[in-house]
Amino acid sequence: MPLNFHRPSSLREAMDLKQDLGEACHFLAGGTDLMIQRNRGRKIVGAVVDLSRLRGLDRIEPLGDGLRIGALARMRALETDERVRILAPALAEAARVVGGAQVRHMATLGGNIANASPAADTVPVLLALAAFVVVLGPNGERRVPIAELLAGRGRTTLQAAEIITHVELPRPARGSAFLKAGRRKAMEIAVVNAAVSLELDAKGLIHAARLALGAVADRSLVVADAEAMMRGQAPSPELFKAAATLARDASRPISDVRASADYRRHLASVLTERALTLAHKRLVAATTGIPA
Amino acid sequence: MKAPLTLDVNGMRHELEVSGETTLLDALREELGLTGTKKNCLEAECGVCTVLLDGKAVNSCILLAHQCEGRNITTVEGLARPGSLSPLQQAFIQHGAVQCGFCIPGMLVTAQSYLDELDGRAPDRDEVREAIAGTLCRCTGYSKIVDAIEAEALRLNAARWEAC
Ligand SMILES: Cc1cc2nc3c(=O)[nH]c(=O)nc-3n(C[C@H](O)[C@H](O)[C@H](O)COP(=O)(O)OP(=O)(O)OC[C@H]3O[C@@H](n4cnc5c(N)ncnc54)[C@H](O)[C@@H]3O)c2cc1C
Repeated sequence: MPLNFHRPSSLREAMDLKQDLGEACHFLAGGTDLMIQRNRGRKIVGAVVDLSRLRGLDRIEPLGDGLRIGALARMRALETDERVRILAPALAEAARVVGGAQVRHMATLGGNIANASPAADTVPVLLALAAFVVVLGPNGERRVPIAELLAGRGRTTLQAAEIITHVELPRPARGSAFLKAGRRKAMEIAVVNAAVSLELDAKGLIHAARLALGAVADRSLVVADAEAMMRGQAPSPELFKAAATLARDASRPISDVRASADYRRHLASVLTERALTLAHKRLVAATTGIPA
Repeated sequence: MKAPLTLDVNGMRHELEVSGETTLLDALREELGLTGTKKNCLEAECGVCTVLLDGKAVNSCILLAHQCEGRNITTVEGLARPGSLSPLQQAFIQHGAVQCGFCIPGMLVTAQSYLDELDGRAPDRDEVREAIAGTLCRCTGYSKIVDAIEAEALRLNAARWEAC
């Protein structure tokens, strides 16, 4: 099927093109989802508006104590950027296990969000990091918590001509971790993945705990019960085990060729406990200066 | 509808006319006759179509040719001057890393991207294996491929120390 290629030189032009060309026109970032969906006939793609050359949209820069990441930042950049590794280790970890090196050189953070796969690797991390997504549309800019953008398998609340321009991580998340279980170690979509972030108060009690899982529901899932249960508690193996049980109970996975629903629930529990333990170790290391 | 496109491949500039849906892979093979880049899964799973885009390994099967305008593309044909072999290619021969050969162009380009990123640091065997995870060898002759890449990385590492 013919495809018309457009390379706008500004965000404004990109939005105008998308509005003029309508439904069959898609924004193109790395193309690692879009091109494959097109080839498989899952999406009608009559035109693309190439965002990948818009200047400055791949930048990673400080934002207060946190980070501001351009939507066009590649997985490879997230994986290797020193600030991301320190301030948001979970994000570097998730980026590192997306596809192979070739895919990571192309795949973008914005594309991973907009594609809205329930098994996306960076999305649970952004939930656990309480990230905001900055979205530009014909009527202006809005800044929304990542959770508000997710509307189900392959669906977001993005309006037709809206572009994700940035992701904001408002706070440092040194105590964060991401774990992924797949059928093999590389080049594999997650059977289940888990992202957590912990903050302690001056007394060493949990000030905030955030936990999100992938591939256990129709979208990346925040386990609010476990978050509430951990707040104000002292971190301990028992606490993390209890949180893992809540994570298992909150999961509503399907059975498919990759794994049964039962096995996915089991993984949700195991990965949650391990990720919490790892995040806690990292937080202690970051505050004491002794490496984990 | 065909549109003009300027592609910089292996240091040469080409003026082409290709339609919007043409992949970089097809432009290289069909328009430029550079058939070293192989065509197989068309889903970025197997890596035989790997080329360097501004020095980084990418899957040419899911890139549109028009996306690559004004960027530097290197195919396996551009790894060494015509008639000669790059040190990495020589290492593949020395280690007997080639069986049927179909994955080798993609494997060489994938490995070259890794070596360039490594930039003379000491390699780690697991890291080498991970670096080529996106490029499959259906003969499953990975050991010798990894041997060859590791040997070349060690040589570059030693060369860096000698230069100090
Ligand atoms: C071999 C292979 C392995 C993979 N492995 C993984 C994996 O392990 N984990 C994982 O999570 N994913 C994986 N993926 C999926 C994919 O690489 C990621 O989802 C990637 O982040 C998508 O980004 P992209 O830039 O390529 O998106 P594109 O394909 O360019 O776009 C995806 C969708 O998002 C829209 N879009 C893109 N950018 C924006 C924006 N800024 N604003 C609004 N809309 C936008 C597009 O219109 C399109 O609908 C894999 C893909 C392949 C081919």
